[in-house]
Amino acid sequence: MRDTTSPSPARTSVPPSGGAILAVEDLTVAFGGLKALDGVSLSIAAGEITGLIGPNGSGKSTLVNTVSGQLPVRGGRIRLRGGEVTGQRPDRIVRAGMARTYQIPRVPPTLTVEEVLSVPLLYAGRDRHRLPELDNAAAIAAFCGLGPLFRRFCGDLSVTDLRRLEIARALACAPDLLLLDEAMAGLSHEDSVEVMGLIRNVHEQGISIVIIEHLMRVITTLCHRVVVLNNGRLLAEGAPATVLADQAVREAYLGKGFAA
Amino acid sequence: MKTGLTRLLPYVLILLVTLALIWIDKPFWIQLAIGVAITAITALAWDILSRTGQVSLGSAAFFGIGSYTLAIFEPLIGLTLAWIAVAVVCALAATLLGLLTLRLRRMYFAIATLGFALSMQVLVVVFPDLTGGSGGIAPPVLADGDPRWQLGLIGLLLLAAVAISDTLLGLRFRPAFFMIRTKPELAAASGVPVVRMKIFAFIVSGVLIGLAGACYGGLYGYVVPTDVFTTNWSVLPLAIATLGGMDTTIGPLLGAIALKALEEVARSVIGGTGYQVVYGAVIILFVIAMPQGIVGLLRKVGTLTGRRTATGEKKKERERHA
Repeated sequence: MRDTTSPSPARTSVPPSGGAILAVEDLTVAFGGLKALDGVSLSIAAGEITGLIGPNGSGKSTLVNTVSGQLPVRGGRIRLRGGEVTGQRPDRIVRAGMARTYQIPRVPPTLTVEEVLSVPLLYAGRDRHRLPELDNAAAIAAFCGLGPLFRRFCGDLSVTDLRRLEIARALACAPDLLLLDEAMAGLSHEDSVEVMGLIRNVHEQGISIVIIEHLMRVITTLCHRVVVLNNGRLLAEGAPATVLADQAVREAYLGKGFAA
Repeated sequence: MKTGLTRLLPYVLILLVTLALIWIDKPFWIQLAIGVAITAITALAWDILSRTGQVSLGSAAFFGIGSYTLAIFEPLIGLTLAWIAVAVVCALAATLLGLLTLRLRRMYFAIATLGFALSMQVLVVVFPDLTGGSGGIAPPVLADGDPRWQLGLIGLLLLAAVAISDTLLGLRFRPAFFMIRTKPELAAASGVPVVRMKIFAFIVSGVLIGLAGACYGGLYGYVVPTDVFTTNWSVLPLAIATLGGMDTTIGPLLGAIALKALEEVARSVIGGTGYQVVYGAVIILFVIAMPQGIVGLLRKVGTLTGRRTATGEKKKERERHA
């Protein structure tokens, strides 16, 4: 079943990179003349939680939108588990095993939590046996702390619960790799701690995760590795402690005044 | 949420009323019921399309294409194949228009579909050899011109439209359609093939309206372009679905009954052509007074009598702004 839903194999004879679940090579994305991503190459290790950071406008969201198939690629290639997904449709990429969340979840307010989760369960067409405990809407909702809200309308959910629902929706795609776009933005400290716990639980299901995040606390507590973008280029990558101590990263991310 | 009984209500209602009218055999009531059924089919079809966020003002194009296809193909390939041709031609037109308007949102989509309907009317007049031009065309008469059998056939088509609408309100389609309407990117990120689903809804809607148009053309066996390609057939489905209650099956049905009843009352009380002004004004008042349509009003009554929670209404309200 997995084979039929996988994207076509890589065009060249490059073997699947060792431990990389997602490999981006020389990726360039431009809006008109402005290059939002300028030859970015990076790889995301399987089984890890990777933090994707960088100042506003550095290309984080562009990278997520591009690898998930929602922005056209001008140059370079994207491979998921060794298979080429460059230029594929978003729904195909979901079926190939990469799911993403949105920063501002906009779900139809007249749908219940159950109905929202039914969409990826019906359409993402993934092999459910990979997540045997999470193969139905009720189990996924309970896993994400939405059990009591299962039959509630999305229009009645709090911001935190909508964030949980966004993660639950992505989880219902049964992904191998999950991209979380600022899952904690705008949440209170207590709520963000809860969502962090949820992210950890998702990771324990064997799902690789990429987090876009502004909160350094989240990056340092959750991530195994950090990738830093600046002006559409890769600035640094490595262990959180090393990268965040890097002078160039501090200047780009915090501004020269703070870095001093 | 919905009990089995209320789900069956539209089917029982249509069957009983159709059979009763055929039994009673009063021409006025039969003609009225035919009018209600045809407009109800177009309103259901319009609503099905709108559930994917595609607010069309092009229903008249499909209504006209339906009646003209039947008229043009019947002498060439016979009656049965001509009916199949109606479905095929409407499906092709829906696919084409759907693909062309794919990236247009809301108002731009509505204007583009309206333009399509208007240009179809011109196209018919430009090719008189094929279409009879402004002089009209003669589709085969439905059911040998017996109004009772005509009502029977159109009633069956209405039942089919109701069943299709209900299916598309089921768990397989409703959440995906609503997600496409609210945020297409979110639907795609959930594995929904957005383009295919939007075109699918367009085809279902276009074919239903086309079949209704072919039935309409077959009532008297004669149509002129202004009968079927008129903007009236583009606006009426929208007005009925809005008046009755969108995103439901019962809404367009109740809307069609209410609108036709209103039209008849206005015609008999005021008469002449002045009745249309009053009729239009009353529709506007109704829409202002009942923003959720008749279905919304009934829900509100249900709320007051304590059958539903008050929050149920707020959700509906929010959805309309979504």
